[in-house]
Amino acid sequence: MLLLQSEIASILLNGLQQGAIYALLGIGLTIILGTMEFLNLAHGALYLVGAYTGLIVFQETALSNGLLYSSGITTLGFEGGFLAALIVVPIVGFGIGLLMERFVAEPFYDRPETDQLLVTFGLALIVEETVKNVIGGNTFQSIAPSTILGVNVSQPISLPLVGLFPSWRLFIIAIAFLVIGLTYLAIERTDFGLVVQAGTHDSEMVRILGIPINRSYSLVFALGAALAAFAGLIGASIQTVSPQIGTQQALVPAFLTIVVGGAGSVRGAIAGGLVLGLIISAMTQTYSQWAQIVLYLFVALMLVFKPEGLFGSAEVGE
Amino acid sequence: MSGDRSGDATDAIPDGGTVTEETAGGSGGSALAGLRERDDFVVVAMAAALVVFPFLLIDILGAVGDVIGISIGGYTGLPSLVLIYGIIVIGFNLLLGYTGLLSFGHAAFFGSAAYSAALFSQVVPSPILMVIVGTIVATLLAWPIGFVSIRRSGVYFAVLTLTFGQALYFWALGPGSWLTNGDNGFSGIEAHGLFLGAIPLDAQLIPVFDSYTVMYAFTAVVMLIAVWVGNRIINSPYGLIFEALGENEERVEFVGLNVFRYKLMAFIISAVFAGVGGAMFVIHEQYIHPTTALYWIQSGDFVIMTVLGGTGSLVGPVLGALVFEYVANVISGVSLPMIGSIGSLWRFVLGAVFVFIVWVFPRGIYGAFSDLGSRLLGEDPEEPAVADGGERE
Repeated sequence: MLLLQSEIASILLNGLQQGAIYALLGIGLTIILGTMEFLNLAHGALYLVGAYTGLIVFQETALSNGLLYSSGITTLGFEGGFLAALIVVPIVGFGIGLLMERFVAEPFYDRPETDQLLVTFGLALIVEETVKNVIGGNTFQSIAPSTILGVNVSQPISLPLVGLFPSWRLFIIAIAFLVIGLTYLAIERTDFGLVVQAGTHDSEMVRILGIPINRSYSLVFALGAALAAFAGLIGASIQTVSPQIGTQQALVPAFLTIVVGGAGSVRGAIAGGLVLGLIISAMTQTYSQWAQIVLYLFVALMLVFKPEGLFGSAEVGE
Repeated sequence: MSGDRSGDATDAIPDGGTVTEETAGGSGGSALAGLRERDDFVVVAMAAALVVFPFLLIDILGAVGDVIGISIGGYTGLPSLVLIYGIIVIGFNLLLGYTGLLSFGHAAFFGSAAYSAALFSQVVPSPILMVIVGTIVATLLAWPIGFVSIRRSGVYFAVLTLTFGQALYFWALGPGSWLTNGDNGFSGIEAHGLFLGAIPLDAQLIPVFDSYTVMYAFTAVVMLIAVWVGNRIINSPYGLIFEALGENEERVEFVGLNVFRYKLMAFIISAVFAGVGGAMFVIHEQYIHPTTALYWIQSGDFVIMTVLGGTGSLVGPVLGALVFEYVANVISGVSLPMIGSIGSLWRFVLGAVFVFIVWVFPRGIYGAFSDLGSRLLGEDPEEPAVADGGERE
């Protein structure tokens, strides 16, 4: 099938947007896996928490079922707008990350990785069910504002080659890549990042050198959680929100992302996220029925023929 | 099969004649220990448990429920459902508990067997043939998937199995709907009863106890075969190698054994069990949908059941299947005086129980009970027989 230039351009833009979400999720998962060798199946739950926190901060939402509804609360939310959500959501994610590291991850650092997978899998289940039962299992609309900082973002704008493209999505792509870029710099250019990188390489050696790596562990975990929550907010602003998104739209893609990019590598997570985002976007626009199948088979092929991923070493998490 | 039930099962064994002879001389504790050392003890114990299981689950718990005013008894189909999942997780445990490989893609084998059995029932609606056909398809699928996935270990293995399973799920939902009927699912699947349809599956075996159906007897027989086969495997040199693989793969390799081949066999064997269970499931439920058959949450359920029950023993996971299905089907319908209806909270309850078990009893319910049993008999609790995970150096 021949694609028009405009179609290719919109595939690229949609791919960037989806890829940014995958990359945000992947970075969080990969730094946690890399430094602590901890496999976090509750990573999707953090995305879920981010999406719902965003929903609550952003607007007042009418409830129709769940525990809150049955106890008389019919609306929920602070009408804080999107900028407030942009600030609150990562902070909430960061806090949850600190707590999770302290109370869930730490007792499991020395246990087999199967145990880590299992306990975080159970935790993911608990978070999803809590959200479902408290706020309700129904699907909420995405939370795109009409203006941001006084600029109207509800109208599509005309771009060269692409044609009309929702300006809100451009804003999302920009802010997501801003955060990705800052994270990348923080890990590549700061002392904290250096410790993280060294920890990824050989955490034992870092400890021997007298660097308090446990404190870095908490920070890394919290940073990863904040990124996942932020990804949830970004996701919620363009896709519908329901309790299942944590596993369906976040957990599985996040794992695929780091597998493609190479476990433990931030650069890999960014590249992996973009590759997967572009595949999904291209397939959705052409043979949408096969999109997910091609995505999974691509990852399987990657694992078989390039198991170390695009930027990783094969050792981490193995 | 739950705590009290396994107690009943061991009590019931002395009626079995042959078993008691050898151990008659011993005192209480050592008699039981001697009994336990017999290779086929687990099969005999399972047979005894299967005889009383529906009675305990439905009639006794039902009667207790009537007394305390909370309906905690099972429904007629529940014992069969528990056994079907029990068969699957016995096989799954050979992979997870013994070989130490965590698969998140066994729904592929469960689901492909279920769909093949469903399709085959339109040609010949014989339950036994449906199970055979389903199992063959699952096995044929497991070979290539295992061949590729086994090459990686740890989380990569988990993700690989997951990707194949998910690819199959999305295929069944979309492009493959000409065969699978897509999102509408397959309904009205009917198996015609055993012996050329002479004995319908929903017929009652014993007049008063309506929980003892032909379907239950059928699943019980398959379960016994599964336990027997599983027991033979883990007590054979082959099973020892599985266990050794779970403990230290490198050493097995140094001894000169072909690690890849044994892992692949463990994978395929577990898929065979999942296939048998999938075909039985479709006979039991008479309906199949991509989400119940192939979605990765189904694979996750197998993991939950196995770990809940306990990965260190052959039949431990069956306890997990019992607890899982009991919570899903009975506890979910319970209405408590203070809290109100459990309803949709059942998965929350399950998740909490699961985290608790992984945290406190890494060897599952079975491990917890066997430790308790050993302690009561004054023995040292067994060391964990199997190291799960095991890839760490």
